[in-house]
Amino acid sequence: MKKSVFQRLVCLMLSVVMLLGVFVTNAFAFDELVADPAHGSENGGHRPSLDEMKTYLDASSYAAYLDEYRKEDGTLPVPDVTVPGFTDGVYRVDVVDRLHDYGEGDATAEKSYGIVVKNSQICKESMLDDSSAWEYFGAGMDGESVYLSSESEAMWDLEVPSTGMYYVRITYFSCKTSESSISSIERQILINAALPFTEAGSLKLNKTWKYDYVTEHENLTVTSDDVQGVSTDYQRLKAGESYKGIKVEKDGYYKFVVTVSGTQKSAKVYQISGDINDNSMTPHMVQDPQWATYYCQDTTGFYNEYFSFYFQEGANSLTLKAQREPMIVSAIELVPIGSDADIPTYNDYYESNGLADKAAGKGNVTIQAEFPDAMSDSSVTIGSDNSSSQTFPAAPSSQLHNTIGKLSYNTVGQWAAYKLQVNETGMYKLSMRYKQNTLQGMYVCRALKLSGGIYGEEATVPFKEAYNTQFDYSDEWQSNYLGATNLVTGEAQVFEFYFEKGVEYTLYLECSLGSLKELIKDVEDAMEILNNSYLRILQLTGATPDENYDYRFQETLPMELIALAEQAKVLDRTARAFETLCGTKGAHIATLDTVALLLHNMSLRWGEEIASNMSNLKSYLGTLGTWINDSKRSAMIVDSITVHPVTDAQKQLPKAKAGFFGSMWFEIRSFFGSFFTDYDAMGLTEKPKEGSESVEVWIATGRDQSNIWRALIDSEKGFTNQTGKAVKLKLVTGGTLLPSILASKGPDIYIGLDSASIINYAIRDAIVGVSGNYKGGGSMEKSEVDALNKVFNTYYYTVNGVDYTEAELAQHGLKKEDATFVSIPYSEITSEEFGRYVPAAMDTITLLGVSYGIPSGMGFAMMFYRSDILAELGREIPKTWNELMGLLPDMQANNMSIGLSYGAAINFILYQRGGNMWLHTDNPNYAGARIGLNTDVAKASFSWVTRLYTEFGFDISFDASNRFRTGEMPIVISEYTSTYNTLTVYATELNGVWGFCSLPGWERPHPEDEGMIWIDYSSLCSISATVLLHGYEDALSSWQFMQWQTDEWTQSEYGNRMVALIGPSAKYESANKMALDGMSWTAEEKKAIWDQMDHLYSIVNYPGSYIIGRYTEFAFLAAVNDRQDPVEALMGYIDAINDEVYRKRAEFDMPLLETDELPTNA
Amino acid sequence: MPEISNEAAVAEAPVRPTQRAEMTKWQWTWKEIKRNKTAYFMLAPFFLLFIIFTILPVFLSMLLGFTDFNMLEMPNIVWFDNYARLFTNDEIFILACKNTLIFAAITGPVSYLLSLLIAWFINELPPKIRAVVTLIFYAPSISGQVYLIWKTLFSSDSYGWVNATLMDLGIIDAPILWFQDANYVMGLCIVVALWTSLGTSFLAFIAGFQTIDRSMYEAAAVDGIKNRWQELWYITLPTMRPQMMFGAVLAITSSFGFGGVVTALCGFPSVDYAAHTIMHHLDDYGGQRYEVGYASAIAMILFVIMFASNIVIKKALSKVGE
Repeated sequence: MKKSVFQRLVCLMLSVVMLLGVFVTNAFAFDELVADPAHGSENGGHRPSLDEMKTYLDASSYAAYLDEYRKEDGTLPVPDVTVPGFTDGVYRVDVVDRLHDYGEGDATAEKSYGIVVKNSQICKESMLDDSSAWEYFGAGMDGESVYLSSESEAMWDLEVPSTGMYYVRITYFSCKTSESSISSIERQILINAALPFTEAGSLKLNKTWKYDYVTEHENLTVTSDDVQGVSTDYQRLKAGESYKGIKVEKDGYYKFVVTVSGTQKSAKVYQISGDINDNSMTPHMVQDPQWATYYCQDTTGFYNEYFSFYFQEGANSLTLKAQREPMIVSAIELVPIGSDADIPTYNDYYESNGLADKAAGKGNVTIQAEFPDAMSDSSVTIGSDNSSSQTFPAAPSSQLHNTIGKLSYNTVGQWAAYKLQVNETGMYKLSMRYKQNTLQGMYVCRALKLSGGIYGEEATVPFKEAYNTQFDYSDEWQSNYLGATNLVTGEAQVFEFYFEKGVEYTLYLECSLGSLKELIKDVEDAMEILNNSYLRILQLTGATPDENYDYRFQETLPMELIALAEQAKVLDRTARAFETLCGTKGAHIATLDTVALLLHNMSLRWGEEIASNMSNLKSYLGTLGTWINDSKRSAMIVDSITVHPVTDAQKQLPKAKAGFFGSMWFEIRSFFGSFFTDYDAMGLTEKPKEGSESVEVWIATGRDQSNIWRALIDSEKGFTNQTGKAVKLKLVTGGTLLPSILASKGPDIYIGLDSASIINYAIRDAIVGVSGNYKGGGSMEKSEVDALNKVFNTYYYTVNGVDYTEAELAQHGLKKEDATFVSIPYSEITSEEFGRYVPAAMDTITLLGVSYGIPSGMGFAMMFYRSDILAELGREIPKTWNELMGLLPDMQANNMSIGLSYGAAINFILYQRGGNMWLHTDNPNYAGARIGLNTDVAKASFSWVTRLYTEFGFDISFDASNRFRTGEMPIVISEYTSTYNTLTVYATELNGVWGFCSLPGWERPHPEDEGMIWIDYSSLCSISATVLLHGYEDALSSWQFMQWQTDEWTQSEYGNRMVALIGPSAKYESANKMALDGMSWTAEEKKAIWDQMDHLYSIVNYPGSYIIGRYTEFAFLAAVNDRQDPVEALMGYIDAINDEVYRKRAEFDMPLLETDELPTNA
Repeated sequence: MPEISNEAAVAEAPVRPTQRAEMTKWQWTWKEIKRNKTAYFMLAPFFLLFIIFTILPVFLSMLLGFTDFNMLEMPNIVWFDNYARLFTNDEIFILACKNTLIFAAITGPVSYLLSLLIAWFINELPPKIRAVVTLIFYAPSISGQVYLIWKTLFSSDSYGWVNATLMDLGIIDAPILWFQDANYVMGLCIVVALWTSLGTSFLAFIAGFQTIDRSMYEAAAVDGIKNRWQELWYITLPTMRPQMMFGAVLAITSSFGFGGVVTALCGFPSVDYAAHTIMHHLDDYGGQRYEVGYASAIAMILFVIMFASNIVIKKALSKVGE
């Protein structure tokens, strides 16, 4: 068809217009981009971009990575070590010279990347950009090293001599600076600025920890009962008693390692001291910074061998991107595969060391597991076991530390190390007395590593089989020689070791998945595939599919059908493999069968059963996830390890179980013992003296928490040590405080009272105002109140247990520097400049200008997101509500939604839009006298939130963590610590694909600068505080305790000890902003939390405030259930709320606003 | 033996007045107490506890009802202010009274009759089956918080059983907020209350049925009883009047004092006070607003209502079998 000239002209013009349109929109887009920094970049809202999320998500698995580089014959390319550039068979990267110089102005350079440390012995503060002081820096290796902060991203430019696969070996120092916390060091390794495979995204480098309980004694006099050589002995001694000439100072349980050679005698004494009731006090654990070498390897436990990375010959780059903790690197080496780093089999090890010709050793050495010499992790702790009289030392009724591993020595990569020496050179084997009663029908593995003598300086497994050292399931205690299946012969093999006299060996027992790893990995892979399939099916059918509808899965989702069938087979096969491997079919394995059966049924007849089984599938996926978590957790309790000569037979093993009468006698003692244990005195080292200064503190938490507080109070930096005042700590149940105040039997201090109760108690004169402007309550005299306010308003210096004011200090000729504790005025502690608390936190515990406590805990909502799903949708993490609503259609098209609870939303949207729950007034006397819900902004905000549920289909009731896990709710807004804690333990399969950030913000005109658009990311905080109660004995002591309890060190130490004791799911939400620094969040997480902390409001609990939440909820539900107009529904309750507030204020003689009056300024 | 003790009593007779007619009421009581001192001694522990933990609190609560006690400070006497406010200035209390009466009127009699009826039916079963069936019916009330199963059933989540089923069947297209919707709350709570009500009184009824003397029925048959209903009315029920009284008292207290289950299911307070009972109102003022004086006044009114209905029931029960 031929076009006329006119038609052509029109076409031309149209195309020109369209072309122009492109430019114009682009130009506008550009304008917007330029304008962007004005909105909001300054006021927070930090979150990772889509590209950043994708770097991690796009990487393949390690197995796929290897396949990519595998040659046709299946082997991996081995570098040619004969070419120049290799020294001793490795390519050594000079960490200082090759450190990439980003140069001025580069964005990456702004992050502190690497700081060169000279001679690594002294490091001056000036070397650090942010001048965060070094608390400790140990002596190191000669030469220069590089300090990598916890936010660093250091890149090295490599000149790789030969193409091929390499292991990466890093020599590092686990330094201890003000930046560091109890977490392990975590890094990402990037090759040429890209993540080579997913597993390289989280490498964990251990720090070394030890108990601070060893004292060394030199030049002791040899007595007649000493024998030559090294002898180890365990004793329970009273203060003043002595063992082989070594006198002990405290009651406790001791380990003595005495070395006698000729007339020289020295001893190492390990001490676990006891309290007044013979319960062990957990020794203080300290980080022991050390140089160590690390081969990049898997942290999940699925790959035993070291990771090998592919490098092309020539210029490459290698980046270490920090995720947690600072470190110092002195060397990075590329070790070609196929070199010495490869581990021999047991048979090769036996042969190459010529062990067949060695004589048998002589004599037994027993190592009690409760005396580890080093640990990988602060959560590897010793504990007490009362289940058997055979456990040494037996403790029928007291909590005596006699085992290790009861709590959390169960995650892959965690280890405990023991030093051992023998008195005769020769061949030995090891036995262990242990109890593994967690994984029924499965076994638990430990990787047995050794260092010293022929085993080299680094802790390595001597042979491959040592990875799989196997411990079977039993309800009872067991005692066995250590061994595993021989990889060559396939038979059970008891390991034999060659130990030389006079050499100190270190034995490491590291949690590993051993030979079960492939099977667990299979299940985990299956789980991932099934999760994806579930999501795909869900996107088609919705959460409750119609059973009678034919979805035609064979056409719409053929791959998912196949996946169901295949994974059913995989799970079935895995279950059978477990059975053959473990020899039994336990309840634990049966779970796999159940899931396999369901999958099989669902895949039959073109998926006819899918619709009716969707919710089953969902819950089974949850079960499978839990199953994987459990299987990876290799928990067992270890009592002792014994070194035997190889000639020892089975009956020489330590006795596992006590005889019938033995255990009966033990049970009887433990039963009657329980009547006489004083659980209140747990942890007391001295009986409290009559008349001494002391503070009575109550806390209503769990026993673990109160034990930690006890330990903190008594610790080196503890309250008692600093002030010389004793603390009576009592664990009470939640509701005890009120009746106790009523009966005037209350404590001096209560930790963790919520802000609503604080106001309630304060207004009834039960709590003392601590802000220094307290007007007194009840029948207090003026002089009394003045004295009290002086305590809160003055600096006090504690020197040798006596408190002085500044003037008194001068009188006595003492110096401020000598003070062990300084009591700071309230106004200073809580000021914004001091940096501890956000103003919102103080607001909720302040009434009529007087504050009633110091905040200790602070919770607030944040936004949790699934980065994998957002990346799949190709969407950025929403910064504002507009963006979030823009995301909604895409999500709903895929049957996904957003998890937002209406109660929280009603409140924080109101504040984000600039509203306030209470009518604003400049006269503080009238604050909280009238509700602010009938303002225009509050009406708009309330109806907007209601519309989310009535028009946009938000769910009102949902199980957030479950739906987040399955991906139905890729964005969930909820309380940050509790959600974080749940997700860390509950959804481990999601590791790395979720994160959290500040709430989406509301765009509104800047309050000060009208022309600017400002995004308000605010969340609302809820506070719990430490309060001082009327009836206190000594105001100054109590006030000092409150300060100590809420300061940075105490708060972060408490948080860290909780994590150490209970695990990463025990994160504590401190209200102290500065305490966050020392806690075990990653740098990214800290940044997000701080970001949100800077954007917080709070709703003050003025008298009568309980009525607000109630009536707003009624109004909301009326709008949702009965389709009432939300604003009308809300307005219907305004009078009722104001009446109640008025009545309540009248009850307490507070300034009143009559109904027709407006606040003074409005 | 009896003769000897009689003689002893006679021997003492001239010293003191022995006949009831010769003594004042107090003298007689004191004498009886002395005579039965062992019984009183054995009763004492319970009696003391009963006074301290039951009588005294009721008495105290009556006194506190006249004050403005706020839990932490010294109370002031306000006389009848609390009661005046309750009846003139507290709409929610009136609403709570209404709810409580509806609740009690439905759950009380229905659960009572249900218990009785089911107990009667079960009593007809052979002993072994009876034991099993008893357990099944009694299970909801022994297993404590098992009513929370209703929360799962009627969960507001679209995955909740009832919601999911209704959505499956295409009856509804968005989840119903069962326990948060004023239209359903009261009905659901009544159902749950009935479900859990087969408690102690039910067991007492079963026991009562079994104590009835079989020969009574035979005698009645001879006397011309026509059917099972007449048997029930003229023989069974009158014989087990004590058990029925016991059951009735329990039914009253539980139906008036019903609150915990509602709170567990619907939260506190229930939406728009739709299932707000006097018990809740008491909790609200005593626990949340710390107005213990006012709460005591509420408690007194609840006490009076229960007491009154107790008397009415007693009267009604005495008519059974007439």
